[in-house]
Amino acid sequence: MTSSETGPAAAAPYAIELLGVAKQYGAATALQGVDLNIEPGEFIALLGPSGCGKSTLLKIIAGLEDATAGDIYINGRLANYLRPKDRDVAMVFQNYALYPHMTVETNIGFPLAMRKLPKATVADRVREVAALVGLSDHLKKYPDQLSGGQRQRVALGRAIIREPVAFLMDEPLSNLDALLRVQMRTELLKLHRRVGRTTIYVTHDQVEAMTMANRIVVMRDGSVQQVGSAAEIYQHPANVFVATFVGSPPMNLLGGTLRTDGGRPRIDGPVAVDLAGIGPVPAGDGAVSVGIRPENIEVDAPEAPGATPGRIDLIEAVGSDSFLSVSLADDSTVIARVPADAVVREGQRVGLRFPAAAIRLFDHEGNRITTKGLDA
Amino acid sequence: MANRPAASAAVLAAAEQDRARGARRAASERWLTHLALAVACVLSAAPFFYVIAASLKDKGSLFQYPPVWFQWPPYLGNYQRLLFETGFPRWMLNSLFVATTVTAIKLLLDSMAGYALAKLDFTGKRVIFLLMLILLMVPFAAILIPLWSIAHQLHITNTYLALILPPLANPFGVFLMRQFILGLPKDLENAARLEGVSEFGIYWRIVLPLVKPGLVVLAVIIFTDQLVSFVWPLIATTDDNLLLMTVGVASMRAKGGTNYGLWSAAAIMSLVPVVIFFLALQRQFMARSTSGALNQ
Amino acid sequence: MSTTPQAVALGDRALPPAPERRRLTPEEHRALARRRRLRRELTGWAFLGPMFVFFVTFLVVPVLGVFWWSTRSGSLTIGSEPVGLANFRRMPHQVDALTAIRNTVQFTLMSVPLTLALALGVALLLARVTRGGAVYRFLIYFPALVPGVIAGLIWVFLTNVDFGLFNTVLKAVGQDPVTWLGTKSALKVVAALDVWRSTGYWSIFFLAAVIGLPRVLYQAAELDGASGFQRFRLLTLPLMRRIILFAVVVGTIFGLQVFDTVLILTNGGPGTATQTIVLRIWNYVFSADKVGYGAAISVVLLLAILCLTLAQLRLLRSRRGED
Repeated sequence: MTSSETGPAAAAPYAIELLGVAKQYGAATALQGVDLNIEPGEFIALLGPSGCGKSTLLKIIAGLEDATAGDIYINGRLANYLRPKDRDVAMVFQNYALYPHMTVETNIGFPLAMRKLPKATVADRVREVAALVGLSDHLKKYPDQLSGGQRQRVALGRAIIREPVAFLMDEPLSNLDALLRVQMRTELLKLHRRVGRTTIYVTHDQVEAMTMANRIVVMRDGSVQQVGSAAEIYQHPANVFVATFVGSPPMNLLGGTLRTDGGRPRIDGPVAVDLAGIGPVPAGDGAVSVGIRPENIEVDAPEAPGATPGRIDLIEAVGSDSFLSVSLADDSTVIARVPADAVVREGQRVGLRFPAAAIRLFDHEGNRITTKGLDA
Repeated sequence: MANRPAASAAVLAAAEQDRARGARRAASERWLTHLALAVACVLSAAPFFYVIAASLKDKGSLFQYPPVWFQWPPYLGNYQRLLFETGFPRWMLNSLFVATTVTAIKLLLDSMAGYALAKLDFTGKRVIFLLMLILLMVPFAAILIPLWSIAHQLHITNTYLALILPPLANPFGVFLMRQFILGLPKDLENAARLEGVSEFGIYWRIVLPLVKPGLVVLAVIIFTDQLVSFVWPLIATTDDNLLLMTVGVASMRAKGGTNYGLWSAAAIMSLVPVVIFFLALQRQFMARSTSGALNQ
Repeated sequence: MSTTPQAVALGDRALPPAPERRRLTPEEHRALARRRRLRRELTGWAFLGPMFVFFVTFLVVPVLGVFWWSTRSGSLTIGSEPVGLANFRRMPHQVDALTAIRNTVQFTLMSVPLTLALALGVALLLARVTRGGAVYRFLIYFPALVPGVIAGLIWVFLTNVDFGLFNTVLKAVGQDPVTWLGTKSALKVVAALDVWRSTGYWSIFFLAAVIGLPRVLYQAAELDGASGFQRFRLLTLPLMRRIILFAVVVGTIFGLQVFDTVLILTNGGPGTATQTIVLRIWNYVFSADKVGYGAAISVVLLLAILCLTLAQLRLLRSRRGED
């Protein structure tokens, strides 16, 4: 974040900078007021459910769609009115968008051929890039003779060969089967380490976003919900949406009331937690949502002191762990994670403990209530 | 368990009977189908054979009764007269020349316009699309008078231009190409756009190669429509050197008389290019029929 | 802007605003957006333009011209003067125009239903054969490729009283020869010619639709015990309703333009027995003083075709809506 202090004139500009970017389709709002700065070399994931505007944002950056409002800077240049080809960004499409009537070689070399580079130079670069993406043996084939993974590599090669300011990737792995997807994920990351270009990666798959990105931009209904590293987003979700969209199973959310009894903040409700240990909580009594990740809930004996009693309705074993659905006295359900070897059975009565430090509070609008003790 | 084989045998016998009855019915149905189709084919094709036979007869045997179905040895005088004593070869060349030229120009213009309507964004697109749809079926026959007046003012009557330019106005090819181009994935052009290809480059290097099947279908449609076209060429040209095959043959008939031998030879000869074309591109010809239902 | 979630999310990591000088004013945005817009307009029109020029010159202007000429009297070459709606007012009393319209409508009413019924039958048959299908299709389709002039000429050889194929066949089975192109039967013969020429075209058109019918429905109907005819009436016809209606509309549009076959076969005769609309228009094009009549009849034809086109567009649209 050094550039923010010295200003873009002195330091290298942001690779991509979005200021209040908005998009309307007639009366429908696809994007509203998106601000985002992306450092050179950063791997950014745009994460959100379908229809959240993440692909639209990518297309606006690429110049394939116009922003209704806002400024887009690429490498310090205002790009709103640049043609796609002048923006110096390369895109990898979900369906690869390989030219079916051209060989792998021609496909990869196409961007350079379009820039009127000498044939020999293009051929050399194509060989280099093909080696990089592992396609050296397939240069003479046509796209329909390739497997899904190979096509994906051609699309990557075609993007890499241009050496652009940024790669824009629109769900590039979603057409691959599960096994190949994991493998290509690793390859993409390695490639990013080697090539070191700014990458904006659109996905609806939180695992992809978490494992690959330096920073994740969580979007919903055309607006940015939170920007942060995987850990930040997981540990400190900005609102109820992020809390439940990220993480599987999602964060538990329970109703409760925040009270301050003589300076000791506490939560009343199906679960009662003493928040004194975590320092001052913003003043104000009222209804809140209490969030806690399944792995932070401690499972104890039903009569253990200070534990909330409950009953195990269902055990879902996933191998490494088991997830317990526990119903509380008021019929609300929480999910708790225990090691796979924990001795539990369905119908068993247990006591749950909610450590104050793992509690996340959200106000009645769903936004996080910042508590000093937790958000250091 | 013991009586199971016996039961099976009875079941098998019944099944075999059913199968045989089913097979007999299927066979007789198949036979009737082929018979009906054969009759349709005879009705469809018999006139051609009758005229071919007539074209190979001399005057005597044409009118002879009882009729001679085929004269042997065949008389070639009709064809000789047609090819050496009438304008027929010239008419045929005119038709092929005009049809080829119109097809070539139209493929280019229609695919360009189809690309604009399918993929580009500009003012008036919707209105023009609607106007083209509404005027899609307007035939030359309904606009002969103003069309002749316009051609006259442009000083193109009695030139090849009068035969070549007006057919370019027909919007059918634009719709066909638009439909084909709409079927191309949007990401392909987007990828090309990002990679520095100009709009014309996208049309030329990406769109055209990918809609080649559509272009072939359209070429067949335009070419055959041109070979068949009649009423406008009839009005637009009077110079004998400019007559198209259809107009020439009509003028031959209009001269009256009883030149049946010559007429039959002309009818058969004028079908030769169509037959060659048809045999070479049968599939695309059939598509001519089905693509009549635009926007399928 | 939804401010709260972001303010919370970004906290003290809130991204620095861009320096003011780099932000464009709304006016600058508008000016640049206008230029981008202009570039797109030019691109679009550059692609559409060439075809559009011909479309306007040789189709839009002539269509408007038909209406203009219908209010004129005189000739195409020498000159004309406006006569208002006189050409239309006299049309009901103008025997040749009414005869032509009546003949054309009669012709269409005879040829279109017969053509389409036969075509549907042939298509259903073609859909059932696997062996020899290509040969059948070739032979059945072929007449559709024959220019109207040639088709007319071929039928001269079929209908000739002395040596025509029809009478030869009649004589061979011991019947009396018939004057095929007599006043009573000429229009029917012209319609028959059209049936011969168009059936193949529509057969192939229907064949594509028949092949596309969902097989499972037929299997289900067979299980339910529906006979072949019941399957046709209860499944095929309703499923192909739109396709058939489309063919009726387009076939009618073609039918109304009947010209070249008639010109060659009968030249409108005997008398006015086979006069058609286009034949009348053609007669008036170069007339010395009646070009306006021709234009007025053209207006009738044009309006009929435009109405049918609109009907056809409705059909297409509603079908697309169902897909």
